[in-house]
Amino acid sequence: MQEKQFLSPADVARELSVSTATVLRLIHAGQLPAIRVSERIYRIPRASFEMFSAGTLPQPGDLATIKDVAGPVPGLSADEILPRRKLAAGSRR
Amino acid sequence: MPTQRQLRERLETLATILYRYGATFPVPELERYASGTLRFSFIAELPGSDTPQPATIRLAEIWEPVLATDASDYRRAEYAYDFVDHPRNRRRAFHGHDPDYFAHEFAVLVHEHCEETLGSPDCSHYFGLPVDAFEAIDAFTALWVLGGSLGCADLRCM
Repeated sequence: MQEKQFLSPADVARELSVSTATVLRLIHAGQLPAIRVSERIYRIPRASFEMFSAGTLPQPGDLATIKDVAGPVPGLSADEILPRRKLAAGSRR
Repeated sequence: MPTQRQLRERLETLATILYRYGATFPVPELERYASGTLRFSFIAELPGSDTPQPATIRLAEIWEPVLATDASDYRRAEYAYDFVDHPRNRRRAFHGHDPDYFAHEFAVLVHEHCEETLGSPDCSHYFGLPVDAFEAIDAFTALWVLGGSLGCADLRCM
């Protein structure tokens, strides 16, 4: 059977043999990455759970660098075709 | 308004959040131009189905110095945050680029994209509200978890 890509706090609690409340505390403390999908519902990506279990969750530190770049600053529109304003019938630009 | 050091730390925090969800991408670079402008742009591949391609989150920002000194604070001049859910064939995006153009044409600075079917939007640009990169990650990852409609029909077309 295919593994679930996202785990509920109850799933994680079963895997770790702890209570769901403990899992929620880990989430709220920022120790277990979780995605908030509604006001009270969280889902934990399996990859996050596996890193958490193995103690290999990435920590800040050398995860971004500064590089000096010559030349003009590229824009961010990424070849997007910009929209034109819709004109009222009979109007002229 | 952030300093250059704070912007590097912020980029690192954004990368860390995505790495901790299992996303894969090269360590992002904060590009520094001779004008003092700072820019970054990177695409993170999310774990899970990679058919036809993995789902991706693109985060890109341009920051301009407020003053012409090395110690200047910076203001965000442009942004582009995109979620392309290739496995579910859909896209959601929050953009704030070409501000002069959008201000002139629509009296707004930002817009959104929403494609229930990738490449076949009902509207090319939607009105939206400014968002920051952290809000975008929260919105995109919630969509990544949840199937179903993106809610494009609830947005207002430009």
